Amino acid sequence: MGPLIPNELISFEWSSIIAIIIGIFFGFILEASGFSSSRKLAGVFYGYDFAVLKVFFTAAIVSLIGLLYMDYLGYMDMSSLYVHPTYLWGAIIGGAIMGIGFVAGGFCPGTSLSAVAIGKIDAIVNVIGIMVGVFIFSELYPLFEPIYNGYFEGNITLVDSLGVNQYWFVFILTVVAIVMFAATDMIRKRVKKVFY
Amino acid sequence: MKELEKTKRISIALTLFILAVLIGLLTYKRPKHTYAINTQKALEKITDNDFFVTLEHINNPNYVPIDVRSSNEFEKGHLENAINIHTPEILNEANSAFFKELKELNKTALLYGNNPHEANVPFLFLYQLGYDNIKLLSIQNSYSQNKLISQNCAIEKSENDIQTFINESVKKANVKVVPKKIIRPVKKIITVQKKKKKAPEGGC
Amino acid sequence: MVNRKLVKFLSFRYIILATILIVLAGSLVLLPKYEQQEGISPEELLSLAISPERYITTDELADRIINQDPSLLLIDVRDESDFKKYSLPNAFNIPLKNILNADSESYLNQDAFDVILFSNDNFHSDQAWLLCNRLNYKNLRVLKGGISNWFNTIINPKKPTENMASNAFELYTFRKAASIYFGVAYPQKIIKKPVIKKYVTKTPTAPTEVQKKVIPKKKKKKMPIEGGC
Repeated sequence: MGPLIPNELISFEWSSIIAIIIGIFFGFILEASGFSSSRKLAGVFYGYDFAVLKVFFTAAIVSLIGLLYMDYLGYMDMSSLYVHPTYLWGAIIGGAIMGIGFVAGGFCPGTSLSAVAIGKIDAIVNVIGIMVGVFIFSELYPLFEPIYNGYFEGNITLVDSLGVNQYWFVFILTVVAIVMFAATDMIRKRVKKVFY
Repeated sequence: MKELEKTKRISIALTLFILAVLIGLLTYKRPKHTYAINTQKALEKITDNDFFVTLEHINNPNYVPIDVRSSNEFEKGHLENAINIHTPEILNEANSAFFKELKELNKTALLYGNNPHEANVPFLFLYQLGYDNIKLLSIQNSYSQNKLISQNCAIEKSENDIQTFINESVKKANVKVVPKKIIRPVKKIITVQKKKKKAPEGGC
Repeated sequence: MVNRKLVKFLSFRYIILATILIVLAGSLVLLPKYEQQEGISPEELLSLAISPERYITTDELADRIINQDPSLLLIDVRDESDFKKYSLPNAFNIPLKNILNADSESYLNQDAFDVILFSNDNFHSDQAWLLCNRLNYKNLRVLKGGISNWFNTIINPKKPTENMASNAFELYTFRKAASIYFGVAYPQKIIKKPVIKKYVTKTPTAPTEVQKKVIPKKKKKKMPIEGGC
């Protein structure tokens, strides 16, 4: 939970409770916005629906801008935020595998669970597949370990590694994202409509 | 009708978003006092620069002596032209305005107390707030017949060679058997609990 | 029916949202920049600084050293040369200019020990205290009067004159006993000489017996929060 638990503002035991509450809301919103439909999710690859792309990019930009403002005004401290450690090749290979699974199955891990909740059979199969994958990975862990733990780059951010001003970076990212939204909208209009 | 439904949702989200931004901006209060330099820079400055003034140089017209003792002691006796600002009141509005004014006039504030240590805290404190026109008067005050007597005094001077004193005393005591072992610091192992950053894994 | 104008206005909703985002991001770039505030607020720091709580007297410190208080951590902020000449038993040397270094932080910023800062008097230790407290390090205290005061009170206590109150004599006895503990020997011509001798011979070995202190690291159960969408 963000800066709260690591800095002991609230006790560690609360994390499970908070996680459940956030999880319920997250699942509800995923389902309410139609993300439990594999057609909608796969649409981003076929060019008839870019909702996934838009949602995740908007979420990233809004939180980024919000955090920078809160940091600027002194409501919170950016430096106490958690930065995910980068394992370069692990992330690249994992990302590729996940992408293939995404196109093939039509779900990402989270949405598959929310689709299971509304009783979709393909999602159930997908989740079973995930479990099998987890099992294989943990059985063959010694084999994968050098990649999993190797190529460690530390807790770096894009701003650190590019060495640019963070405010300019965010501004450019926002503009790029919005241009991208407009472009994807144009693509969507040209592609044959798919009803689902 | 379906289109309208969608519009409604997005406009609700829009209003909430703008509301959040507005509330954030409106509730924001700028802190009254802010540090101008960070601790690292402050440390470099106080270790590199000489900021002591002795009694002989006090007559410089650019210097404004400031008494950081309580008003009670100030009444008992103070330096000529001194202004009384007691340490706990140093952040008062009037006082910070006064320091700002001094900085604009390019005058140097000379802080003093009963001894340099008393003025040390307000000195370093104001220094971190960005008033670099501050010096410390290294004097020691005492009263004699209701008159304030100020003397120069040294700071951080090691007056006594303690180790030799101890050795000397041992010699004088004429104890032959005492094995003079210097007490070597035992290495303490300090494991500091690193502020653990928890790993929220995942993300779709 | 819903207001037509409103419907028309809302048909631009995506454009409006996009402009809001761009404006917000753009004003981030244009905002005036100021030095990032570090540490606790000045008001808080001042109220900590004027409290006499932050000092420890030489008598109290001597008492705690003699009783081998395990929670004591002495930090000498003088230069290395001074530190080599004489320092308190078991003290660590962190010169003032290194006080904010990364490896000093592990000594100063922790909650297992009471950290006592000292220097020749309490000038440099006060400065170290103020800087560290701004960074919100806890449990820091300053030895009142520093080493010089330590010398005058503990190592070389003044004998009270006859007309002084009785507690002055008590204090003197305590300080004298303490000075013997810290290695000073007295030419005792009267009685009990062997006892004192024993005392003296014993003392230098006593502090070295202090075992290595290992603070058990509080392990937090690490539970990876898995998930994501």
